[in-house]
Amino acid sequence: MTSESAIDDTQYPQRTAIGLSFGNSYSSIAHTADGKTEVIANEEGDRQIPSILSYVSGEEFQGTQAKAQIVRNPRNTIAYFRDLLGKEFKDVDPSPCHASAHPVESSEGKGVAFVVQEKEVAEDGEEGEKSTLTVAEVTTRHLRKLKESASDYLGKDVNAAVITVPSDFTDAQKSTLSESASKAGIELLQFITEPISALLAYDAKQQLTDSGSSAPQDKIVLVADLGGTRSDVAVIASRGGIYTTLATAHDYELGGSSLDKILIEHAAKEFQKKNKSASDPRKNERSLAKLTLEAEAVKKALSLGATASFSIESLGDGIDFNLTVNRSRFELLGNKVLMSFTRLIESAVQKADLDILDVDEILLSGGTSHTPKIASNLQSHFPESAVVIAPATSATAINPSELAARGAAIQASLISGFEVEEIGASTEAVVTVTPHLTHAIGLVTGEEGFAVIVPAETPAPVRRTAQIVVKAGGDVLVRLAEGVREISVRTEDKATTNGNAKKDADEDEDEDDDSDDEPEEVREKVWKAGKVLAEAGIRGVKKGGKVEVQVNVAADLSVTVVCREVGGKGGVRGTVPAGKAEQNGNAS
Amino acid sequence: MATIQLSATLPSLPTDWTAEKDFKSISRVTQPTARSLEPVGPHFLAHARRKRHHRTFSEDER
Ligand SMILES: Nc1ncnc2c1ncn2[C@@H]1O[C@H](COP(=O)(O)OP(=O)(O)OP(=O)(O)O)[C@@H](O)[C@H]1O
Ligand SMILES: [Mg+2]
Repeated sequence: MTSESAIDDTQYPQRTAIGLSFGNSYSSIAHTADGKTEVIANEEGDRQIPSILSYVSGEEFQGTQAKAQIVRNPRNTIAYFRDLLGKEFKDVDPSPCHASAHPVESSEGKGVAFVVQEKEVAEDGEEGEKSTLTVAEVTTRHLRKLKESASDYLGKDVNAAVITVPSDFTDAQKSTLSESASKAGIELLQFITEPISALLAYDAKQQLTDSGSSAPQDKIVLVADLGGTRSDVAVIASRGGIYTTLATAHDYELGGSSLDKILIEHAAKEFQKKNKSASDPRKNERSLAKLTLEAEAVKKALSLGATASFSIESLGDGIDFNLTVNRSRFELLGNKVLMSFTRLIESAVQKADLDILDVDEILLSGGTSHTPKIASNLQSHFPESAVVIAPATSATAINPSELAARGAAIQASLISGFEVEEIGASTEAVVTVTPHLTHAIGLVTGEEGFAVIVPAETPAPVRRTAQIVVKAGGDVLVRLAEGVREISVRTEDKATTNGNAKKDADEDEDEDDDSDDEPEEVREKVWKAGKVLAEAGIRGVKKGGKVEVQVNVAADLSVTVVCREVGGKGGVRGTVPAGKAEQNGNAS
Repeated sequence: MATIQLSATLPSLPTDWTAEKDFKSISRVTQPTARSLEPVGPHFLAHARRKRHHRTFSEDER
């Protein structure tokens, strides 16, 4: 086969590619065809498929059915295994697996495995041999099931995928996952990171709605992927639709299960209050498993409704349990945990050396992003200029549980017509490592004001065009300069803005203690002109005419400027030569 | 990218300002930082295509 005309997507008619998000808690599959992306339901009708396998009487179950087995058959049920992939036993945190099959050492500590009763128990009750399944093997089996579900749904053999991975997944983890995929009959087209995938899905939808513009606006986006067992944040510079990750932050203990624990604790206490003689249901493995399953369901219901109920048959000592919880109670009990999400997200901004005023969008991804209080906490903590995109704060938000899979499906549709070598070539450092502007480039306005044309952290080469009205007309000076962003802080007496400053008093006990008469700090982003790069004189502009400035930054960082009056004749053109060749290293 | 509309005032040209062809190059852009682009999405693919075929924006548009 020749390597030419790789863009011809008839070249791989036998390839059917999906997007796959594979989490510790849930997996999800999506497919893009004719520009439309849909998330695929499995045979049970689930779009969020628990990443769990369970062995019962010689049969293998996956997803919701397998999850139910954590109550009855925990040691033959394998859950929370994604993060164990490609790691040595001594490096893994086995705690999420506490309630299911426990990870054990394999290949002399070089890997992790689970020991389960996979084969049917013999007639005589003889348990028979147990199987040791490596994490890689478990992953293969899980992916094979997902592939089958996708193939059934699409009516053709799915044989390729783009798979999302956390932004800190190591090369060893990727290569193990890639091998597992290939054993499951899935050609791995590309790994993409979860936050980037979520952003791609969101931007693709935005493009459809604000039709006309060719690329998303330049913006700084915080993507917070709030999952079940962990939370990950990425700060992304999006420049003309090209993404650069500036910083990431991770918390391997914070996630939806931290919120489940709040409800478990609450329910267990209520159970013991109602049944004085009953023992603590958290102390009994089976009771705890029932409680855990129900707590998650209650938590999900509380994202939509104001109340939700526990209803568990024979929770402990043969006693049934019913309890109604309302959302505000849950938010009060969970206040600390809920605030931890805000803190983690803000820590990523600091890691990127940015200010919260630099953030244009906060995109919430992952199942826990359904929690209304997490979104509203962010909305009140971040400045109004930062748009929080979550179901609770934005009518156009995409289901956060689906974002990662959707983005992967879109990427799969973009590259499934390419040869693997072609895809690989585009992801190599010679193509991806790119000089990024250290400072914004724009125009000096007024005395020493500054208007941004090309923001900092934009990769070169880049071209941007800006227009500016010249009210008075005449001869004007176009001064192209680098900009300096400053944060101005002034205090404003709160008394003037006190109208609705009173918050729900019971809700922010330990989050902030600004009393009513304390002056309020007002922080603002201010641009100042820095180093001037070039000057151009534009003569004889009409009254109310417009000057257009095109800035072309080449890969060598030389800058070509073209200025003219819109509709006028001629114009000025010149180049600022490239600087020295070396760059500040920071390519990792 | 769509054309950016700036709402600000340009200084007027000082009467004694002169330059050859009305353009003066003054100083170079600050050293950039090398970072990795995420190899994802349609706009990145266009970038990769330009880079691998050594094409400029305008050549790419033709
Ligand atoms: N509607 C909802 N309201 C609140 N929480 C929800 C909702 N839907 C799902 N969740 C929670 O989201 C979490 C799962 O998130 P996600 O589907 O992103 O999983 P994941 O990426 O596999 O997680 P991880 O890898 O962190 O374990 C679970 O804790 C689940 O209870
Ligand atoms: Mg996740």
